[in-house]
Amino acid sequence: MKATFILIILFSLTVQGQLKVGEKIPTFTLNDANNIIVTSSTFKQKYILVDFWASWCAPCRLGNKKLNKLYTIVDKNKMDIIGISLDTDKLKWEKAIKKDKIEFIQLIDPNGFDAKTAIYFGVEELPSQFLFNEKGILIAINPTDEEIIKYLNK
Amino acid sequence: MKNINTLKIIVALLLIVNATNVKAQIIKAEIRATGLTCSMCSNAINKQLKTLTQVVNVETDLNTNTFTVTLSKDNDLTPNVFKEKVEKAGFFIGSLIITVPTIMTNSSAYVFVEKENTNTEELQIKILDKGYVTDKEYKKLLKSLKKIETYSLNKEGDYHIKIIKI
Repeated sequence: MKATFILIILFSLTVQGQLKVGEKIPTFTLNDANNIIVTSSTFKQKYILVDFWASWCAPCRLGNKKLNKLYTIVDKNKMDIIGISLDTDKLKWEKAIKKDKIEFIQLIDPNGFDAKTAIYFGVEELPSQFLFNEKGILIAINPTDEEIIKYLNK
Repeated sequence: MKNINTLKIIVALLLIVNATNVKAQIIKAEIRATGLTCSMCSNAINKQLKTLTQVVNVETDLNTNTFTVTLSKDNDLTPNVFKEKVEKAGFFIGSLIITVPTIMTNSSAYVFVEKENTNTEELQIKILDKGYVTDKEYKKLLKSLKKIETYSLNKEGDYHIKIIKI
């Protein structure tokens, strides 16, 4: 029970409704696997790719492999990848991170499609990816690896 | 005297009709959806089901890939509503099991494919018609249910059912 309470998420938002290209990244505050609170403002001055997924979502697990590859080739001073899981079971999430050998940042909003982060980003299916530029403006939804690299090389 | 008797009969009939009306609602529906993509990875089915005002709650079971729909007491939904909603979301029904008052299955719309004696108030029944099972299962059923003439007719609003749990 206590662990569940610790997992309770602090959440503050500046943007309401579905996110569109040109809009600013919603401010989110979520826990990572070590229960450390991470805020979206940490990632300023960098491109960020937000990836929504869940351990039970088979296409997402395949996507993790692709993201791992992408993460090894991008300049980490220029870009971060943030995985946000909608898993309701934290243990399954942690297991999946280990199994998929994910090295980029992993956060959790454990409420499925009812998770506030999912609602404010407008996530209707998994996986869903959102690419923001260094100013925190959404520039692409579900971009391909090639598109991401193009943006970074601009 | 005769009039009074007639009246009695009418009242009795009305009572029966009313009783059937009150008790003839689907209580719960368990929907397993199929499609080209992972049905649980989309919020679409959930959203479509929730557009029905008679839907009280939709729960998803990730282990069985099932949407469990709880309905309001006074709903007038029929199984085809779930099929329509799932298809509108871009998926298909793989399996639909509904919990109903036994009395509801007395309606001519429901055809039991196996004779069962039941004296319970509620039944859990699986709909076997086309569009309510996978294509593969339907093809098998067409063969195994050859004796039931109405099955292959695919008449809308007719439900061929099998008891899952009494």
